[in-house]
Amino acid sequence: MNSQVVDPRQAVRAAAQWLALLESGAADEQDRANLQRWRDANMTHEQAWQKAQALRQRFADLPSALALSSLDRPDPGRRVLLKRALGAVALVPAAWLISRQLPLDVWRADLHTATGERRKVQLAEGSSLQLNTASAVDVDVQARRVRLIEGELSLKVPGSVALTIQTRFGSVVVSQSEVCVRQEARGCRVSVFNGSVQLQPLQGPPLALRAGQQVSLGESGAGVIAPFDTLAPGWREGVLMANNQPLGDFLRELGLYRPGILRWDPELEALRVTGSFLLDDTDRVLALLAASLPLEVHARTRYWVTLQSRKNSV
Amino acid sequence: MSDAAMPQEQTLHDLYRDHRGWLEGWLRRRLGNGCDAADLSQDTFLRVLSSSQRIADLQEPRAYLLTVGKRLLSNFYQRRSLEQAYLAALASLPEECAPSPEQRWLLLETLQALDELLDGLPRAVRRAFLWSQLEGLNYQQIAERLQVSERTIKRYMAQAYEHCLLVDL
Repeated sequence: MNSQVVDPRQAVRAAAQWLALLESGAADEQDRANLQRWRDANMTHEQAWQKAQALRQRFADLPSALALSSLDRPDPGRRVLLKRALGAVALVPAAWLISRQLPLDVWRADLHTATGERRKVQLAEGSSLQLNTASAVDVDVQARRVRLIEGELSLKVPGSVALTIQTRFGSVVVSQSEVCVRQEARGCRVSVFNGSVQLQPLQGPPLALRAGQQVSLGESGAGVIAPFDTLAPGWREGVLMANNQPLGDFLRELGLYRPGILRWDPELEALRVTGSFLLDDTDRVLALLAASLPLEVHARTRYWVTLQSRKNSV
Repeated sequence: MSDAAMPQEQTLHDLYRDHRGWLEGWLRRRLGNGCDAADLSQDTFLRVLSSSQRIADLQEPRAYLLTVGKRLLSNFYQRRSLEQAYLAALASLPEECAPSPEQRWLLLETLQALDELLDGLPRAVRRAFLWSQLEGLNYQQIAERLQVSERTIKRYMAQAYEHCLLVDL
């Protein structure tokens, strides 16, 4: 083999031709011998051939069905035009990667947000609706109903004509008031910022909730009315606030705003966090934590981050 | 001081100050979403900074920003469309075939990289290549599916290999 200068572009072109010939099944012994001679002739040839093999390997390592339906999807250009024509960008919340099952309800939702996304919409008569990360709602203005399918919303109704929020755990009637409702798998939490609202749990009598109060609704009805957590609604301004909060709780909350996996050493769980963090840049939040707490951020990929105790790392 | 003598960082600073709001507004109208628009406008300025284009020489800075911004926007849509197709495919897999949560994200990143690699290939070439690599179809089977000759498939395959290998050069 010699190291005479060969244009790598020429070498790549030739490697591509060889590969296509071999795969066609039409190559004979003579062709194979010629290929070997070509590879031996120059280092750049051999490198191009190795690169071509590595490329094939990248595809060979993929689960074929998943890769095929992702890479051989309908023409992306057409999809963009279609989305624009429909006037709505219906995004699949990335949180589904974790839950895996496709909740069909979300497809029918009028509005949704992806993980890390927040959205504000004006409704009729000065009412406004805000969606937190990975949330979906179905708005029926005519029926004056907002159905919370998943995630968290905040609704402000300045007028006296009520809007009703329906959740899987009961309904909330809002007029001349402002509330925040967060729905999870086993229950939902209603917090009132201004005015008062009427609640109808799945079981038990209706109840009124005033400004500054919050309550949890579950399968078995309403829990105890408590003062609401004034730090929780910070998301509406794009801020995550913590006051001497256990790091584990903080990270579980932060994880809702980040696509992908966020893991941490169990021993970090009990560290305390205080501060206001901007949700628009969760990478920066992690960097800030690493600057003020004895932990290190290890990003395996953008979507897979692990926090490790600093004394544990070598 | 003349513009020509100004360092790149200084002119970038001016460019950012004068046009960032405008660019972000343009992106927001396209995307209907403030967060993504802010991200993409930042990316646009980063691209400008890392490019060899001298900012002080720009005659029409907004036209230039728009060209860069449009390209990033198109990449953004492409990643989204891949992510959606991937999530839909994932959801339709039977439970026992589904990858673990970690694998799902790693796989998505791999697919995004390959999607970018294949970008720019004609549709038929891309499909022929994917069927060969992922389904293991031979040229005759691909030729039947696409209703073209085997010779054409061989040409498609060479074109696809060359395209992918040139990207990394």
